[in-house]
Amino acid sequence: MDRSFKARLERRFGEQLTGPVRQRHDETEIRIGPGDVVPVITALHDEPEFAFEFLADLAGVDTGEVMQVVYHLWSPTTPDWLRVIADGLSREDPRVPSVTFMWKGAEWMEREAYDMFGITFEGNRDLRRIYMPPDYQSFPLRKDFYLADDAARSPGAGVRPMEQTHVPRDTVATGKVRRLSPGT
Amino acid sequence: MAVNEDRVSPDGLGAGPSDATEVPSDVPAQPGLPATRSSDEVMAPIVVPNTLWRSVDPMAYEGNQPTSITHLAEFEASGLGRRDNARWSGPLEVIPTKADYVLDLIRMNSLWPLLSGLACCAIEMMSAATSRNDMDRWGMFPFRASPRQADVLIVAGTLTTKMAGPLVRLWEQMPEPKWCVAMGDCTCSGGRYKRSYSTVEGIDRVMPVDVYVPGCPPRPEGLIFGMMKLQQLVKDRRGHWPERPIGPTVPAQV
Amino acid sequence: MTATTPRPDITGRHHTSSLGDDAFAGEPDDPRVQLDRDVGVFEPVPPYPPRTEREAEFYTLRDGEMFLNMGPQHPSTHGVLRVVLKLDGEKVVDLDPVLGYLHRGVEKLCENADYHHSIAYLDPLEYVSSLFCEWPGVMAFEKLLDVEVPRRAEYIRVLSAELNRIASHSLFLGWMALDLGGLTPILWSFIERDTIVEMLASLTGQRMLFNYFRIGGVNGDLNHEFMSRLGDWMSRATEQVEAGNTLLNENEIFVRRMRGLGKIDSKAALRMTMSGPNLRATGVPFDMRRAHPYSAYPELDFDIPTRQEGDCLARYLLRMDEIKQSLRIIDQCLHQMPDGPVMAKLPRLLRPRPGRAYAGIEAPRGQYAVYAISDGTDQPFRMRIHDPSFLHLQSVGLMMPGHLVADTMAIMASLDPIMGGVDK
Repeated sequence: MDRSFKARLERRFGEQLTGPVRQRHDETEIRIGPGDVVPVITALHDEPEFAFEFLADLAGVDTGEVMQVVYHLWSPTTPDWLRVIADGLSREDPRVPSVTFMWKGAEWMEREAYDMFGITFEGNRDLRRIYMPPDYQSFPLRKDFYLADDAARSPGAGVRPMEQTHVPRDTVATGKVRRLSPGT
Repeated sequence: MAVNEDRVSPDGLGAGPSDATEVPSDVPAQPGLPATRSSDEVMAPIVVPNTLWRSVDPMAYEGNQPTSITHLAEFEASGLGRRDNARWSGPLEVIPTKADYVLDLIRMNSLWPLLSGLACCAIEMMSAATSRNDMDRWGMFPFRASPRQADVLIVAGTLTTKMAGPLVRLWEQMPEPKWCVAMGDCTCSGGRYKRSYSTVEGIDRVMPVDVYVPGCPPRPEGLIFGMMKLQQLVKDRRGHWPERPIGPTVPAQV
Repeated sequence: MTATTPRPDITGRHHTSSLGDDAFAGEPDDPRVQLDRDVGVFEPVPPYPPRTEREAEFYTLRDGEMFLNMGPQHPSTHGVLRVVLKLDGEKVVDLDPVLGYLHRGVEKLCENADYHHSIAYLDPLEYVSSLFCEWPGVMAFEKLLDVEVPRRAEYIRVLSAELNRIASHSLFLGWMALDLGGLTPILWSFIERDTIVEMLASLTGQRMLFNYFRIGGVNGDLNHEFMSRLGDWMSRATEQVEAGNTLLNENEIFVRRMRGLGKIDSKAALRMTMSGPNLRATGVPFDMRRAHPYSAYPELDFDIPTRQEGDCLARYLLRMDEIKQSLRIIDQCLHQMPDGPVMAKLPRLLRPRPGRAYAGIEAPRGQYAVYAISDGTDQPFRMRIHDPSFLHLQSVGLMMPGHLVADTMAIMASLDPIMGGVDK
């Protein structure tokens, strides 16, 4: 847990952060809005005091209320992982600028986020489905996409708690989706 | 667990039949879609007007038309080659059946598998073929790359819905007599991926299977035992290969 | 059976859906009915007009070019990868990998399973190096639960994982040679791999998808059979590795085919977010075990081999060097093995407090990472799996143009992708 790193981030990106800088174990997390992705990522990559040259991961997250795109970066200047969460994308039409201008390798990770969630990455030259067939209509990892077993109440469900079909509680019966509380 | 089964999901959450929209979801820069559509019409081909470029061949990209440059175009179009029941018929039937009585004894000792390793079980299949557990002792060493030269299709690994088409095409391309071995839990019944949205619950939903080898993955000795069972089966059924079932063999209530 | 009839489930009764009996009937995405459609014509070019810039650029043929489809089934043993090649004669001008033929929906299945079940779903991703697939999952959950892993368990994890690394690199050696046409090295590597894997079977119970790491430790302590097999093998290991090396390193055909093939420089490699041996072969000494140390690695002494050339030969020689380093690590683990429990005390039903955790480790193919989000219930809210082979396949497009068709498989083999991880 690198406290000076937290101070540096707050000093540099104060206005663009939409929440406090959180640290847990060896990870530091910042939240920004989707419009700030390009300047923040460029600053983190280019400025020598940050030097986040290695994009470790690009993931989409559906919290049930909003969508998020989460970037994990690594730099030799700090022992922590940096997690940048582009928060607040709408669930109906999630759009975020692409980081393929910086890392061409993000192209497929963004294709996967599009395929699984429907997040449109503006600036990605190749935003088509990567895992599912091209004529697939749904976005599988969204919280309102139910596996066939969960939508059913399978008569094969067992007796002991570990054997029961994991029907999401309060979801299928009422049509609600599983939600993550906003600060998590 | 009293759930009202006539209930339609509330609007806006995209999980019910009332949320169908007309816009295909695979085109970027379109307004977002609900997660699942359950529309009533048969899925029509998606036509996106092309404003980006011009093709040299005007017939290209017109939507799944057979190409004009294949000399087998007529044959492909008639669908004859894709039937799995092409048999010698009438008086010619006697030729394969009678000779098979002896030939099957020869075939059982030289079953050539097709290299069809999809996932983890493929590693154990390769392990069964290499020095420690040698399948060459039973004549099965040459893993043919082309389905035209293979006898046995050992499906090793999870079958997904995207791969089901190519796998069925491979099966159709193998000349008869042919046998199929389902290796691993995923091919027998779907295995640990039975609940997934993109896997096939067992390859017997798309092709007839002769031997099931369960395990995740089965040990190489297990696969060899399965192949020995297949040899026994070839011997028991010799001369009667045409009477085997064709096509998916899952009984109706399973 | 028509296309709209839902198939009955295994108990013989139809799936009753609380969304209405017809919720999935006629649904184009229902996996149960997709198979009723006719298989159709397979062509390298998709049957619809291009939808993205890159698709348009790729599927436009200039004068003298043609498409060749290396379909999902091909003699190379990487698994089900389909590559559409654009050829000018024998030279490859461009290529478009098509994935998804092994997409099993692991991330979705993990969201609907307990924490312990999710670890079991992670094994078949990179199936030749399963312990490295379980490791970041266990680490991420341990971070969510704030669990301290006993030191003995950490050492056992490192020991078994380095054995798995040697097995995986031996297989790489065999496949590399097989894709260039040599049939002997693959038999030697499978002997090597079978020895190691039988060892791990006596420790974990399984030859391949080990399911050995648990949240808080490992499943069982070292036992007598494992230690005797390990001692046996270690005494011969160095000569066996040397024998494997001399088989190929001085083979003129092998070296001449691989030298200069598939060159990539370090800037391009970092831009393509490559990691692991593929990145170190271009000159960047980035290894997760030293860059972001985890588990027992801070206490162990080993080097990070790096090479400068960035071609297939460099990647191959680098992995051979890594085998030697792994042997050093195993030796130190055996000498420094502490006593103690192998599993932390945890309740059976795990409910971590809400939060997020990311854990990345150095797998034989690169940085393997798991990003887990917990919402306080007994099922993970999101389990994102980051696989290195997925990213390495992107860079094939950078390395390939200008080479011949026969080199396609050589370059892909040198990147060592495993399709289970690529497609999840």
